[in-house]
Amino acid sequence: MAIVVKLDDLLHAKRMTLTDLSERIGITLANLSILKTGKAKAMRFSTLEAICNELGCQPGDLLVHEADG
Amino acid sequence: MPAQHSTLLGVTRGLLWLMLGLVAAAALLVLAVGIALVAVWPDVMVELKNSKTFIDPGIIQPQLLWMMAVLAAILAVAAFVLRQLQAMVASAATGDPFVPANAQRLRRIGWALVAAQLLAIPLHMIANSIAAAHSEFAGMGGLSLNNILAILLAFVLAAVFEQGAAMRDELEGTI
Repeated sequence: MAIVVKLDDLLHAKRMTLTDLSERIGITLANLSILKTGKAKAMRFSTLEAICNELGCQPGDLLVHEADG
Repeated sequence: MPAQHSTLLGVTRGLLWLMLGLVAAAALLVLAVGIALVAVWPDVMVELKNSKTFIDPGIIQPQLLWMMAVLAAILAVAAFVLRQLQAMVASAATGDPFVPANAQRLRRIGWALVAAQLLAIPLHMIANSIAAAHSEFAGMGGLSLNNILAILLAFVLAAVFEQGAAMRDELEGTI
């Protein structure tokens, strides 16, 4: 998919694990893992907001559009 | 799942088994009649003459055998439809009926009902040709508005389930 989720990079920059984030924003580790690996089909605004609040980032930091091929 | 729903599903499951039992009993009856038509035709003919249901009981053995064959086919279709419904009820009991498999089952039910309706037409033609006018036998089979409505309903529901399954799929991929 052309939309890439940069959750791994953001977590690394904040020295936070996926488990930490999962506990803080109340989204299951399994779902966050799906998001991180780019297997999610869609993302709720509430999820985006929770992640941005917690990681202090903009939506554009989390989601990046990369041309296919 | 609410208790009311599970009760309803339980009742439906029971009714489906009951109907399958009735279909099996009817199939046995059709088989028995078929055997009687071949094995003890002279006795059957005398009985048919006494009943005054048929125009000329002496020459209707092949037609009656054809009717038994068509009835057996209709019963097989009915059993197929009931089995599909049982599978759908089972999937509803697990709490997830909006799956592509159920859309396929409904479509199969729709086609099976089409087959049953198509079989009912020759059944009616044969019955009508051998039975005395106004007898109950002459009205057997034929085109039925109820059948046609059931066919439409099955195909519409199949489309609804297909859409539902797609929406469900999308929702499951939403984080």
